[in-house]
Amino acid sequence: MTDLLANLGLGFSIALSLQNLALCFLGCLVGTLIGVLPGVGPIATIAMLLPITFGLDPVGALIMLAGIYYGAQYGGSTTAILVNIPGEATSVITTLDGHQMARQGRAGIALGTAAIASFFAGTVATLLIAALGAPLTKLALVFGPAEYFALMVMGLVFAVVLARGSILKAVAMILVGILFASVGTDLETGQERMTFGLAFLADGVDFSVLAMGLFGIAEILRNLDHTETRDVVRQQIGRLLPGRADIKQATPSVLRGTVIGSTLGILPGNGAVLGPFASYAIEKRIAKDPSRFGNGAIEGVAGPESANNAGAQTSFIPLLTLGIPPNAVMALMVGAMTIHGIVPGPGVMTKNPNLFWGMIASMWLGNLMLLIINLPLVGLWVRLLKVPYRLMFPAILMFCSIGIYSINSVPTDVMFIAFFGIVGYALIKLGFEPAPLLLGFVLGRLMEEYLRRALTLSRGDPIVFLERPVAAGLLLLTAVVLAAALLPSLRKSRDEVFTEA
Amino acid sequence: MSEPIGGSGRSNGPIRGPQSVVGGLGLVALGVFAIWAGGDLPQGTLGAMGPGLMPRWLAIGVAACGVALVVAGLVKRGDPLPPVAWRGMLVVVTAILAFALTIRPFALGPVTTPGLGLIVAGPLAILIGGYATPEARLRELVILALFLTAGCMLLFGDLLNLPIPIFPTFVIEAISGSISTRVLLRIAAGLLTLGGLLGLALGRGSGRRVDVAPHSMTT
Repeated sequence: MTDLLANLGLGFSIALSLQNLALCFLGCLVGTLIGVLPGVGPIATIAMLLPITFGLDPVGALIMLAGIYYGAQYGGSTTAILVNIPGEATSVITTLDGHQMARQGRAGIALGTAAIASFFAGTVATLLIAALGAPLTKLALVFGPAEYFALMVMGLVFAVVLARGSILKAVAMILVGILFASVGTDLETGQERMTFGLAFLADGVDFSVLAMGLFGIAEILRNLDHTETRDVVRQQIGRLLPGRADIKQATPSVLRGTVIGSTLGILPGNGAVLGPFASYAIEKRIAKDPSRFGNGAIEGVAGPESANNAGAQTSFIPLLTLGIPPNAVMALMVGAMTIHGIVPGPGVMTKNPNLFWGMIASMWLGNLMLLIINLPLVGLWVRLLKVPYRLMFPAILMFCSIGIYSINSVPTDVMFIAFFGIVGYALIKLGFEPAPLLLGFVLGRLMEEYLRRALTLSRGDPIVFLERPVAAGLLLLTAVVLAAALLPSLRKSRDEVFTEA
Repeated sequence: MSEPIGGSGRSNGPIRGPQSVVGGLGLVALGVFAIWAGGDLPQGTLGAMGPGLMPRWLAIGVAACGVALVVAGLVKRGDPLPPVAWRGMLVVVTAILAFALTIRPFALGPVTTPGLGLIVAGPLAILIGGYATPEARLRELVILALFLTAGCMLLFGDLLNLPIPIFPTFVIEAISGSISTRVLLRIAAGLLTLGGLLGLALGRGSGRRVDVAPHSMTT
């Protein structure tokens, strides 16, 4: 306990430095902004802003990126409530009751509830990260290459199972991602792999180029082909703070949502996305009068919103302690860490305690800032909602081009974002999710390295993965989860969680 | 925009899930291509894995997933191919290429493009890119380009000091020595902003902008 306090103290001393505070604020502001703006998701933004953070010190850079991430979660719920368009995947559920509340003239209360619920959940989740971080890291330190390999396999499989859509397609995407990662100079032998003698492929496919193309450009292309009418609530936003009756109604949902969200967020798959869905399903099931749901029930906002934010925070746990990114945003974080010369994994906490604890402390500060930024500025956000997309996307296009050019100063990088943009668009059109591809890509090189090392140590005997209890346990769990997900009955209930409501 | 192929997915020849079949064929093609591309790499043994081992097995895995998808598409009824917005794709790609080719001198075989710097490449990307949607309005895009270019020049060139060429190479050569590029940058950014403000003011005077919610996002 004293350790925890001392560590948190260290964290706050770093997060409260003027520079980091400013970066955290900037991150939250930019995050909210893009969460609110139509057609720009957190993944695209982080990919876009990666180049700008290269000049910062690693702690500041990651604090800012993290701020963008949870800022976008907040902003996403604002659009969900006011425009009935989820700013991003995890706020889909908030549209159901949040927008109904807004139609009934209770937009302010919906926004206020969402903000307060998120803040509460964020606080709990931050404490959870601080408490769990240390023991998990110690556990991870006894891991050898075999265990790491098994862990990564598990992380990837969980990501597949917890995501929506076809499992087969997601597996294929992961494999493609790892395959992409193997392009370039082989780390061990120095031999060039699948580079076709092209100089710009010698270092492999650039992470920022891939991410910006798959998420930034492809997102634009996708938005360009469907009409979406924005139906901004014209009614008064009204009072922001929920009344006593509302609080009484919402509190239990917030508590449940927080528990559900934080638990699912820790899972090494993309649990954070599942959180709001699960929370909504549970709230609806245990409600005395389920018919209120979909017609502006405050629990339908409070529960999923807290689950959403709690999951967003706790999904940092697998990243910070084990170095395994649970979703595409975290994969971008891994990319950012690697670019700053930090190897993600259990070593981060011992080698870079400043980074680890500074980031955790900044998360709580960020949540506080969001509460302060969001509630009074709602009017401004509403006005931003009216920016038409036809002006948004040329701007994004230019930012992406400048950002990617500024990394290496080579025009071919810029051309490649166009290429990967088309690839990403084709994937979306064919029903493939690009996120698992990015996860596979980020983990690919490390996985190969661990696999090689494990097999070298065992003199080529693959039984090593079954002899070592931890590795065997992880792989067994992976197999069970995968098999279970493929079973028809469970598969149905998995689909149900996503289509509920 | 093309018509969705395969119609509503009702018995349309042997292909019941066109989306899966096309996706699967794509994966098979990628897998085969990767096997070919990595064919010359030594495989090594499990104890001492060569550089070719992992890519080979991954490629086989990808191709296997592809085969499974094709089979699924032949057996099970699935989604049709969604329509593709060719206009958006072509225009966006053109805009990005225009930026890449003009930002700095780039040798394309025997031809070398002139390096025009951000001050030309940026607006070019916006003006071309804007036409990805039929809703594009030239005046709006010009104003946007002026403001954004000024902002980006100050942000990336002045504040963040990123190594990005701002002005055309011939301008830099012409003025070399007489005025510092940073001063020039600020003057140019100021002029662009003025131009943008002028555009806004003129627009307000002449036509009224139809700019009320609900907006249609695009197309």
